[in-house]
Amino acid sequence: MPIVLFRVDERLIHGQVVIGWGHALRPERYLVVDDDLAESAWEQELYALAATGVDVEFLTVGGARDRLDGWRADPTRSILLTRDVRSMARLGEGGALADEQVNLGGLHHEPGKSELLPYLFVTREDREELRRLADSGAEVSARDLPDASRVPLADLIEA
Amino acid sequence: MGATFLRSFLVQGAWNYHTMLGTGFAFALLPGLRRLYRQDPDALEAAIRRHTEHFNAHPYLTGVALGAALRLEQEGADEGTVRRFKTAVRGPLGSLGDRLVWASWLPAVALASLVIYWLGAGWAWSSAFFLVVYNAGHLALRVWGLRAGWSAGREVAGRLRAAGLGELAERLGPVGAVLSGLLCGVLGAGPLADAGDGGLWVALASAGFVLGLAAGHRAWRAAAVGTVVAVAAVVVVSSLPGGAG
Repeated sequence: MPIVLFRVDERLIHGQVVIGWGHALRPERYLVVDDDLAESAWEQELYALAATGVDVEFLTVGGARDRLDGWRADPTRSILLTRDVRSMARLGEGGALADEQVNLGGLHHEPGKSELLPYLFVTREDREELRRLADSGAEVSARDLPDASRVPLADLIEA
Repeated sequence: MGATFLRSFLVQGAWNYHTMLGTGFAFALLPGLRRLYRQDPDALEAAIRRHTEHFNAHPYLTGVALGAALRLEQEGADEGTVRRFKTAVRGPLGSLGDRLVWASWLPAVALASLVIYWLGAGWAWSSAFFLVVYNAGHLALRVWGLRAGWSAGREVAGRLRAAGLGELAERLGPVGAVLSGLLCGVLGAGPLADAGDGGLWVALASAGFVLGLAAGHRAWRAAAVGTVVAVAAVVVVSSLPGGAG
């Protein structure tokens, strides 16, 4: 079993992911894909604190694209996280995430964002990146926790 | 620092779904910010604005973020760094606090005070025991957090790891389990046992305790179902005519 979950969640490794999804999917590794975080040791230290007993790797989008096929073939169960839609859309460029389920888990409120769901607030740019991600072949849907119902992207934004 | 410590108790006072602890965070930080930006009202206003933004963490551990944020402001860190620090720290502080306080410390101390009550101490002593012991841990955690944040700044992850709070939470878990077993035993051997059919209660409680010890820690679903069935059996037996009366 390679990558058991692709998730966009601003909070990255936190309660919902570690407890909610962690108990359901039993990951052995978190892959955090973010260009800024890949360069910042002190931030990596903080995010890794929340992952109790599970390995965490931080990668740039480019680095992650090179290793996607390797992870898929690897028996280690991984959860891949990005903290914004843009990084996930860049990861999926050229169909790299075609036919994969991509989960939208949490983007919080900020001035200028509009609400799609109580846990999903997006900018205009996020909407475009979501369309780009869906157009690249990924099956995008929102679901904060494994036992919540899945809301397809088509029900959240007009195509 | 003292003023920020006192104000940190009110950090949830303006909780809301949009900024969560944001407003309370800025309120607690205000005395420190005022001192730092005494000469520059515009910078003070900008600082207040960035600290009223969305923030969330466990209330008892928010001091870690408050101390570190104040240190970053004092070092003159740019706005982006401050924001990135607060974004990164809230997850670990939330999950660590939930595991340590709500899931371990609170139930362990509550169970201990119940055991003390059933052992014969009056309600006043057992309540006092709970309030004093629970809040001693609570205050120690708050004081430690604010100091660790202030002295380590953005490097506070190392302090959190070295303090072993996660390991402490894991060690407190079994303590709670043993205490609930003890409580079952005390209950079974107490007034209920005198009612004539105490033997059944003791047997049921012991069986539940053994079952819990054997299967509870894996938290697989069958164990949860078994526990519910066992509790239901106890309730049914106790409601039969001539049962627990």
